[in-house]
Amino acid sequence: MLQAIGLSKSYGAQTALDGLNLEVKPGEIFCLLGANGAGKTTTINLFLNFIEPTSGLAKINGLDVASDALETKKYIAYIPEQVSLYKNLTGLENLDYFATLASGAAVEKSRLVGYLREVDLPSGAEDRKVSTYSKGMRQKIVIAIAMAKQAKALLLDEPTSGLDPKASNEFSQLIRKLAGNGTAILMATHDLFRAKEDGSRVGIMRQGRLRQVLNTDEFGHADLERIYLEHMHD
Amino acid sequence: MISQIAKKEMLEMRRDGRFQVASAIVLGLLLVSLGIGWQQYVSVNRQHEMARAETREQWLSQGKKNPHSAAHYGVYAFKPKSPLSLVDRGADQYTGVAVWLEAHKQNEFKYKPARDANTLARFGDLTASSVLQLLVPLLIILMSFSSFAGERESGTLRLLLSMGIAREKLALGKALGVAGGLGMLLVPAALIGSAALVLASDSGSFVANLPRLGWMTASYLLYFAAFVGISLTVSALAKSARLALVCLLGFWIFNGLAAPRLFSDVSRTVHRTPSSFAFSQRMDGELKKGFDGEALKKKVMAQYGVTSMEALPVNFLGISLKAGEDHGNEVYDKLYSELWDTFEAQNRLQQQGGVVAPLMAMRSVSMGLSGTDFAQFRDFSVAAEKYRRVLNDAMNDDLKNSPKTEGPYMADEKLWSKVPEFAYVMPEVNVVLGQQAWSLGLLVLWALGATGMAGWAATRRLRAE
Amino acid sequence: MIGTVAKQEWRLLKADRTLAAVVVLMAAMVGYSLYNGSSWVAFQRQTLGAAETEQAERKGKLLKTLKGIEEGRIEVKGTQDPRSAASIGGNSSAPYLAMPPAPLATLAVGQSDLYPYYFKLNLRSKQAILANDEIENPTNLLAGRFDLAFVLVYLFPLVALALGYNLISSEREQGTLALAMSQPLTMREMVTGKIVLRGGLLLGLVVLFTFAGALLTGVDLGSSTVWLRLGLWVSLMALYTGFWFGLAVLVNSYQTSSATNALTLAGAWLGLVLVLPSVANLVATSMYPVPSRVEMVQAMRVAGKEAQSKGSMLLAKYMEDHPELMPAGEKPAADFTTLSYAVQMEVDKKVEPVLKRFDEQVEKQQAFVEGFKYLSPAILAQTAINDLAGTSLGRYQHFSRQVDGFFDAWKGYFLPKVFAKTKLGSGEVAGLPVYQFREETDGDILGRVGVVLAGMLVLSGAVLWVGYIRLRRVSIS
Repeated sequence: MLQAIGLSKSYGAQTALDGLNLEVKPGEIFCLLGANGAGKTTTINLFLNFIEPTSGLAKINGLDVASDALETKKYIAYIPEQVSLYKNLTGLENLDYFATLASGAAVEKSRLVGYLREVDLPSGAEDRKVSTYSKGMRQKIVIAIAMAKQAKALLLDEPTSGLDPKASNEFSQLIRKLAGNGTAILMATHDLFRAKEDGSRVGIMRQGRLRQVLNTDEFGHADLERIYLEHMHD
Repeated sequence: MISQIAKKEMLEMRRDGRFQVASAIVLGLLLVSLGIGWQQYVSVNRQHEMARAETREQWLSQGKKNPHSAAHYGVYAFKPKSPLSLVDRGADQYTGVAVWLEAHKQNEFKYKPARDANTLARFGDLTASSVLQLLVPLLIILMSFSSFAGERESGTLRLLLSMGIAREKLALGKALGVAGGLGMLLVPAALIGSAALVLASDSGSFVANLPRLGWMTASYLLYFAAFVGISLTVSALAKSARLALVCLLGFWIFNGLAAPRLFSDVSRTVHRTPSSFAFSQRMDGELKKGFDGEALKKKVMAQYGVTSMEALPVNFLGISLKAGEDHGNEVYDKLYSELWDTFEAQNRLQQQGGVVAPLMAMRSVSMGLSGTDFAQFRDFSVAAEKYRRVLNDAMNDDLKNSPKTEGPYMADEKLWSKVPEFAYVMPEVNVVLGQQAWSLGLLVLWALGATGMAGWAATRRLRAE
Repeated sequence: MIGTVAKQEWRLLKADRTLAAVVVLMAAMVGYSLYNGSSWVAFQRQTLGAAETEQAERKGKLLKTLKGIEEGRIEVKGTQDPRSAASIGGNSSAPYLAMPPAPLATLAVGQSDLYPYYFKLNLRSKQAILANDEIENPTNLLAGRFDLAFVLVYLFPLVALALGYNLISSEREQGTLALAMSQPLTMREMVTGKIVLRGGLLLGLVVLFTFAGALLTGVDLGSSTVWLRLGLWVSLMALYTGFWFGLAVLVNSYQTSSATNALTLAGAWLGLVLVLPSVANLVATSMYPVPSRVEMVQAMRVAGKEAQSKGSMLLAKYMEDHPELMPAGEKPAADFTTLSYAVQMEVDKKVEPVLKRFDEQVEKQQAFVEGFKYLSPAILAQTAINDLAGTSLGRYQHFSRQVDGFFDAWKGYFLPKVFAKTKLGSGEVAGLPVYQFREETDGDILGRVGVVLAGMLVLSGAVLWVGYIRLRRVSIS
């Protein structure tokens, strides 16, 4: 579903991403690990066509994002690190706007409320202004947007930073549910624990290169931390 | 401590490209407008001097004539331009420049320069005063809107306050910083302006204008102080720098753009100006009432103790013309005073608008001290009219005492030169200060109030977060 | 897609009470300014009405006197003969030449507070007629008026900029930009949706309030010329709105913070609306200085003095040229009246070149300024609004030409009769030509405003075009 072929991005002499080859299949959760500046966010921005690749291809559902930007955006949903919504509007109004943008047509209110129930937003919260929401609640709205869009791929940029453990756990359950329905998920994160718990595979990046890809069922939590630190040290 | 803060503020301003560009533009406009003002003053003044000499020469060389005919010929009076008009042209463009002083009639000033101007003129004159009144306050806002709000947003305010700096010292330092920045701009401009004034006026009139210049400088400083105070107050109180900027720009627009028009509309509604048609109808009506010619004849005969007109030792025509003049003057005095009092009432109300918009007070003071406001136009008009009466009386007196001979009586240059040349002296600065008492008081209040508010806001209402 | 964004904008504006603030502000400004405009129009109408009444009364009285003389009921005594051409043409039947306020005069006071809208005719010099004007406090003239044109040209752009300064920057600052751009939506579509709603809303409010105000202040919507003018006005405002929103898009495309955008746009507004016109004015007056009126006064005086000294000779010469005017059986009569007219004619002839030079210089300056107006949308808008309201210099010149024509015809009719000492009867007085102001044609208006609209279209188009091109390069991350 998500495919990077020799994907590179450099800013002048500085290389942000160096020949990334990667494929995320439907139902798979791929976690990108790495220090700040390792190229995780660059990867996600390339899939979103927010920046143009210096060389290589980013493909979604077989389409090149650089040449089919609008078409590919129909298949993906994006959850930024700082989940911000229109704070003067209610959760439902926010969902309505983005869902309409995503599908290109108005979505019935009952369906929208249904999605909000599905992501477990406390009932009654949808009619409150977003300025009263916690980060976890705002994230649920964004996941509901992904559901309303029936996104085939999900791009997450450090989604669990700043969440309390309970909210973090709820979030994991939600994305696992989405993956269970066949969504391909690419998640950039610092949270080794979540990566091990939720991910199907993890990739460790450093200085724009994908150093190693591991299947999460092949190692334990302690192993992952050790391998990660090894990559950071040399 | 305070000087350290002020120094840092000025350093920041110098480093800020926006401030540099804005100051350069304001300084440039100020210098250009001073230059143009100077050039206009010099050329208009030369023309008026020449015309004044010419009109006197024409009067003296009109040849042999009946005195009443000479009075009809009359003279022109040209409104002299005050040297400080190079700073503030005031209402000069909208008052006529010349008035014909003739027999029987008090004429209106004719030829408003604005009527010969191109259509852009109504967008406003670029004069030193408009730069000082509009653009400099904007520069002050630009320099100080983020003084407190910006430091709060960037977190440096926490740092400063954590170091135990007294808030009043902080506020004073910031205010001095803005003043210093402004000084770098205005001191050279003021020096150049004074130099232009020296060049524009002969030494005597420069000295005579010094008190006016001094008061003008002081009142502009009050005006700027008010803006520094307002900006620092808003910056200390506002939640964000953006909000502070929006509030200050809003006030600036109200002060500079909306208020002059609003108050002129309001003053016109409160003190109605008659239409020119109604005014002249009324004037004609009053003039037509005339005086009782038969009664005058009887009175004059009684006065000279004669029983028939022929026996009068004097020429009755002179007496009758004089009586006509007196009646006309009464009417003119009444109607024009009424009209001009209306204008002055309107202007007073606009000065009082300075309660909410300091520009209203500043504009009035600036025009007054420049000698380009309505009050000084009126002063000149009254002086010119007084001269017209002196001239007419001289002619009618001569006619009255003219020998009763066959054929028309002719006077010559001997009579013409008896009438002194019209000389006008601008009112003393004290007179102007009296007229501007309201405005000056308001400016002082604004300056004290706004800086006081800034001190209060910075010491009592300044939050680190 | 654009519709969805526009709907969202509507919700946002409603939610943070911007909408309410804009509605109240615009209603207050438009309402107050139209009230101001209409009271000025009412003042002019009232004055013209009073003048017309006075004129009719004066002429009625004259006709009655003339009939009385003709029927022998009234005897002519004294030096003033009511039948004399000088008295009839110069005073008792002299009409007011008026330019009534145009149908949309409430929109803009324009130059109408500066130039006279009526003249009382006489047989003397044109200068004496033209120099009269409405009484006004010079301080008020200096300030200008709070009319609709002021609201539209000066304040409206500020409201537009307040709505547009953070088009993109606010989305970026609150973090919703990335979320929106991860949808199948281009930056251009988003910006278009935003400016269509915000600009459309602002434009709609202004048009709505102005139409309502126009109806309330008694603008006659029945005539086609009113609709043409209103149509042109709406197009002008649409383009003007487009310009300021285009500028907002352009500034936003540089991806600076909202506060910087606000400062930049305020600076642009200041430059285009306040500084540029006055600098242009300064350049024009320095390059084509208008000769001082003082010089003109002196020239007229010198000419007058010369003519006076040879008055009788002038009259004699005139009679030689026009022997048919010689009163039967008399020598050329050098009485005071005829002499003064002969002198007057000579002075007019002498002064003409001075006046011509004067007018030429004013025209040159104005022509020079005409080119400047394309630099600033504010000058364009003010020019067009004045034209549509009928308070522009153009209409005053149109009026002035009509006054010239009528004045010449009037003098052409009366002056020969003054010199010939012809006496007029009631029949002739009743048949005197009546002045009727000819309004500018729709074609005149369309021609002048059309050029301005084209200029505005180019300016707005250019700003929008550059802004939209730059939008492609706006980065989201």
